[in-house]
Amino acid sequence: MTFDFMLIFDSIPRILTGIGMTFQLLFLSVFFALILAVILLLMRISGKWYLVIPNMIYVYIFRGTPILVQIFIIYHGFPQFDFIRHSFLWPIFRDPFGCAVVALALNDSAYVSEILRGGVLGVKKELLEAGAALGMKPYQRFIHITAPIGIRLSIPAYSNDFISMCKATALASTITLLDMMGAARAIVSETFAPYEIFISVAIIYLILTWVYQKSFGLLEKRMSRYVTQ
Amino acid sequence: MSVLGVLDGWWDDYFWGSVVVLEVFLVALVMMVLLGLIGSAAKLSNNRIAQKLANAYTIVFRGTPEILVVLLFYFGSGVTLTAFVQIFDPTVKFYDIPPFWAGSIAIALIVGSYATETFRGAFLGVEVAQIEAARALGISNFRTFIHVRVPEMWRLALPSFGNHMLSLIKDTAIISIIGLNETLYVAEQATGTTNKPFIMFMVVGLIYLSFSTVITLAVMVLEKSANKHLRSV
Amino acid sequence: MTNDIQEPIIRLEGVNKFFGEFQALTNINLSINKGEKIVVCGPSGSGKSTMIRCINRLEEHDSGKIIVSGRELTGDDKDIDAVRSEVGMVFQSFALFPHMTVIKNLMLAQQLVRKTKKEQARAIAMKYLERVRIPEQAEKYPIQLSGGQQQRVAIARALCMNPEIMLFDEPTSALDPEMINEVLDVMTDLANEGMTMICVTHEMGFARSVADSVVFMDRGEIVETAKPEEFFENPKSERTKLFLSQII
Repeated sequence: MTFDFMLIFDSIPRILTGIGMTFQLLFLSVFFALILAVILLLMRISGKWYLVIPNMIYVYIFRGTPILVQIFIIYHGFPQFDFIRHSFLWPIFRDPFGCAVVALALNDSAYVSEILRGGVLGVKKELLEAGAALGMKPYQRFIHITAPIGIRLSIPAYSNDFISMCKATALASTITLLDMMGAARAIVSETFAPYEIFISVAIIYLILTWVYQKSFGLLEKRMSRYVTQ
Repeated sequence: MSVLGVLDGWWDDYFWGSVVVLEVFLVALVMMVLLGLIGSAAKLSNNRIAQKLANAYTIVFRGTPEILVVLLFYFGSGVTLTAFVQIFDPTVKFYDIPPFWAGSIAIALIVGSYATETFRGAFLGVEVAQIEAARALGISNFRTFIHVRVPEMWRLALPSFGNHMLSLIKDTAIISIIGLNETLYVAEQATGTTNKPFIMFMVVGLIYLSFSTVITLAVMVLEKSANKHLRSV
Repeated sequence: MTNDIQEPIIRLEGVNKFFGEFQALTNINLSINKGEKIVVCGPSGSGKSTMIRCINRLEEHDSGKIIVSGRELTGDDKDIDAVRSEVGMVFQSFALFPHMTVIKNLMLAQQLVRKTKKEQARAIAMKYLERVRIPEQAEKYPIQLSGGQQQRVAIARALCMNPEIMLFDEPTSALDPEMINEVLDVMTDLANEGMTMICVTHEMGFARSVADSVVFMDRGEIVETAKPEEFFENPKSERTKLFLSQII
């Protein structure tokens, strides 16, 4: 058994054809997840039971089940229902890409909402009291005090979550999508050279992860320039 | 109810699939804890080589998708083993290690890299003053470790460790991709026959939800007991 | 010196406050006139902070009446907002907004609550920064200032809202000793300019020189109220005597 370096060299371009799809999956899911997460967060901190309980059930379900199962339910399961096939959402659910983005976004939103909640809870109470004493209304306190500080506090945990999402996009290869993982699997099935191919794609993922981590580190540094908390 | 009727005949397959999930979880858990302990010990040691190896371990396995590691392990070891076995018996086409082991080792390695950081953080989180106080009282290094460091480390590590266990059990679903007959695999078979994918996969979801609920509750109980000395009256 | 003809600017009548089972305030009766400086002292847990926090509704009293500048404090938001616009508060931990510059800290509430335009808010902010003697720190961030400077900014921030009453919740307790005086000096200036002040503090020197009256609280009750000289030389209650013996 030999280690074929030429094969790595030849395959990398082919693996990289999947990088576009990997990025699309990642950034679209993360984008929608963030919007959903903010809504979920507001529900959770509202204090109203009819908003808090649905939030808690949602988070419980999406964090308690494997993301692969969620992807399969949406991709394989949803087309089973007439009402989905005939609805305006069908173009999304008919397409594996749409299913993957929906599944990843729903899953990530559960985690991100809890991360944001952790950040919000980390804002020192006295700062909000000072705002109240100055006459600021609750929504003003949220926008000017809670949000800026809470976001900054959330960055470390969010950066880890972002990396998890980067890895989760690889699961899209199980529903026929040709992201980097899908491309790699296709090549392996042709060449029977799992080591060379999978190690190559692993290296690409590692480089990407390294870039993301450094970026978040810089972001956090920038936001923490003038802050003690 | 006709919905549940579809599942007739599959109940015991799901049951055995759940047993497989549990088996993989327990095996991987043991490996994960060992890897975490060894890894954190290496990072905390003074040995430069050990540190570098442990750092490489965490960097590689925290940045690589789980499915990639599982596939690499399974097919990679298959190729290696096949080549090895073909030396002795050229007629063998493909020799693999069972998906159970390929999968367990793969997910243990991944979550173990996170556990390394958790244990390392917990170790460093023990107040130095407490350790110094124990040593000043004449308590030996070893006894200080067992009676002062370990209980505190356990308390600090517990929340994150609980999350690692949850990751571990959910990652077992990925092993279905290489043919392990756990619940997701069962669901795929069942879908092929019954053509009712939604309910089949929902059952898998419910099974995993139950497992993660049990783990979460267990961790809550453990956290309560680990923190009981800190609760004020 | 009290002015009997005038209506008190703050009145607490029969105020009680519970935290669950624990009674933090028991039958508090207090009357403060405009321009009076009151120092509240007592052992920790005596309810001093709780009492002044009830005055601007950071805590809700459970029974009794609190009337500030003629407005009774009820659950009604309009009342609460009206009271908060008359009452400024300074916290033990300064509570400056860490992600904003000093000047922005002073301008924010003016712009959001009073709808003051930016230039005017800035002018008012600079005026008060000069009052507390640190105008050159305007563009700095709180973390770049010393504790004493931060607390003076906090005082200025409260003053920018033009309150009639200033509440101080242990303003110097979190400061290193060498910085306490710069803050007390600012507070003394404020007192001399006629501000109505309620100060929870352990700084007895300040009480002696500035206070019109000292209120001693213990275990949720007002035990004794007296002019400073009487309070320190001739305390009436045993509990007061015990407290004084422990701190002086």
